[in-house]
Amino acid sequence: MKKWLAGFMFLGMLFAAACADSSSQEEQDSDDSSSASEATELSFIHWRGEDKEVFEDIIAQFEEENPDIDIKMNIYPSEQYQSNAQQLLRDGSTGDVFTSFPGSQFEAMKEAGLFTDLTNEDFVGNFSEGPISVGQADGKQLAIPYQLVFNMPVYNKGMFEELGLDVPKSWSQYQEMVDTLIENDIVPVAFPGADIGPNQTMNSMMMNNAKDEEVFQKLESGEESLTNDWWTNTLEDFQYFNENGYFQENALGTNQDSAMQMVANEEAAMLATGSYHMAALKELNPDLKLGLLPPITVPENEVEYEGIHTATFMLAINKNSEKKEEAKQFINFLSQPEIASQYANGTGQHLTVKDVEYESEELQNTAHWITDKKTRFQPRYLITEAAVEDAVLGSIENVLGDASPEDAAAEAQQIVEENIE
Amino acid sequence: MKISKAIYLFFIPGLILYSIFFLFPTVSALYYSFTDWDGISADFNYVGFANYERAVTGDSIFMKSVGNNLEFMIFVAIFQTLAALIFAIILVKNTKVNYYLRALFFFPTILSSVSVAFIWAFVYDPNLGILNQLLNLLGIGFLTQNWLGNGDIAIYSLAFTQVWFHAGQMLIIFVAGLHAIPNDLYEAAKMEGASKWQLFRKITWPLLAPSATIVIAYTTIQSFQAFDLIFALTGGGPNYSTEIISTYIYTVAFRNYDFGYASGISVIFMCIIALITYIQFKVLRSNRVSY
Repeated sequence: MKKWLAGFMFLGMLFAAACADSSSQEEQDSDDSSSASEATELSFIHWRGEDKEVFEDIIAQFEEENPDIDIKMNIYPSEQYQSNAQQLLRDGSTGDVFTSFPGSQFEAMKEAGLFTDLTNEDFVGNFSEGPISVGQADGKQLAIPYQLVFNMPVYNKGMFEELGLDVPKSWSQYQEMVDTLIENDIVPVAFPGADIGPNQTMNSMMMNNAKDEEVFQKLESGEESLTNDWWTNTLEDFQYFNENGYFQENALGTNQDSAMQMVANEEAAMLATGSYHMAALKELNPDLKLGLLPPITVPENEVEYEGIHTATFMLAINKNSEKKEEAKQFINFLSQPEIASQYANGTGQHLTVKDVEYESEELQNTAHWITDKKTRFQPRYLITEAAVEDAVLGSIENVLGDASPEDAAAEAQQIVEENIE
Repeated sequence: MKISKAIYLFFIPGLILYSIFFLFPTVSALYYSFTDWDGISADFNYVGFANYERAVTGDSIFMKSVGNNLEFMIFVAIFQTLAALIFAIILVKNTKVNYYLRALFFFPTILSSVSVAFIWAFVYDPNLGILNQLLNLLGIGFLTQNWLGNGDIAIYSLAFTQVWFHAGQMLIIFVAGLHAIPNDLYEAAKMEGASKWQLFRKITWPLLAPSATIVIAYTTIQSFQAFDLIFALTGGGPNYSTEIISTYIYTVAFRNYDFGYASGISVIFMCIIALITYIQFKVLRSNRVSY
């Protein structure tokens, strides 16, 4: 009996200790909440770690204008954000304002009903109509892309001027340009094959091989195949680039930091990523003059698209949020031209907001891509199934690893067929 | 001796923790493996054994990841066990130098996987990495490789990193096992004229069998769970050549939003580990001796 009693007393003590701990925690929480109860805390989650300082400044301005709202910003690494954002958003306590990638993440979030319909909000009018269409589904504006990115190689304009090179307009001119670079011991294209190289470069490599913008939609519905010319030709182009010294040696093992370093050191003329790396390249080498130069892999008369754009970093309001009005105030604030200009110039990005004033030379020099050039939306983001996207990218890696384009395409097509319904 | 019934109360906290952190997730995984749950929506359908059928007959990436995982596991189990055993035999004596060296070999174990991945990404970089630079410096530049970019060797590069990461931990287990072998046995065998190889073959190895069982079983399980290192170094690429089961489960669950199928693969994964560990225990137990 005594042992029973001792057992109960032990458990009782454990329970009392746990209760004491939790009650003191509750007290702590209530103290905290009472101090914070004057302002509504709005959670803002995204993946742009490099924009932290600029956002902090913008948030401080917003809070000054709206003293009843506190914004708590959480930034996640993009890979982690791709994987975990949906889970975070489910109960509505996190991510009152959140961001979404276009493509498979947008589709998954839409399917999960995480977007608030923004169609009738006044601030939608502050954005350029064309680029924000990527955030629409079923006739509703579910998310608003904030950034406009050009996913095509960045080139060293100064180097081209020194070597007397013009921007090529056809495959033959592109080959001549590359020959000159190689003759001068310069790597034509620094290709970060270990990470983002394939998923960025595939877009401009395929833009004129697969002019049908619905080609991936058709692939996912079984109407198209990766073994058809549009993709095997693209893989052949990758193979040609790899085997003829257009990419650096060991391209598949090179990560983006190493590739950027090659361009910053002027060992390489082009970086196969996108406009979002221009600011970072300038930081590595302030003397660089930069522009955008997509690979032209077809004869001049077959060139339909001159480049690739992506409207991304899509701002959205969590359907499960209880602070939707405050969230709308924040997005409205971000859509004001002067705030957007601050963000654009602070982060080196083009934006979808109207009347933004770009200050940096790079942003000004490349702004004509928004208005004057015929670009198409990044095809990769039109793949809605992540497994299909992986198969497509895997075929590029396969070719760069010496597989034949036909075999790589067939292998990838098999994976596609296993994953489409 | 009569055991008081009160003693069973002391099982309760452990049982609760076990149920919350092991039993419940395991049963949940089993439950969801019979559904098409996407991990987000409230609704899902029961699909019977379709997820299992898909894994076994209709998913080439899953089969590839199983093959990669077995290659990785065999390489790591052999080389990690051998490296740990050799260094344990060399460093078994309790001298100051050996204490220092044991600590040095143990050091990688206390690093986080991401730190290890960061270090080895730099080592393996084909253009700037120190491994290729070292090979060139030694005049054996023909051995330089695209260590993580070449699909034929990337899995072995990762396995080597795994061995470097965990061999020190296994070394400590072997050193403890070696210290437990009575010295008298060696002295008696030496008096009988036993050679060094005979000492190892007839005394050291058989009496180390319990330690070896732990090391090999633990190494095997570790190899199957080497998610973070591989995810950080290659992400499963290039072209799925380093995709192992755990990285594939992650991709299916969190990138493809196919939790039902990911649960099915997880259950198969658990069975594979259990089966291999069981076989290892059986084989290694049969080698045990006592003098």
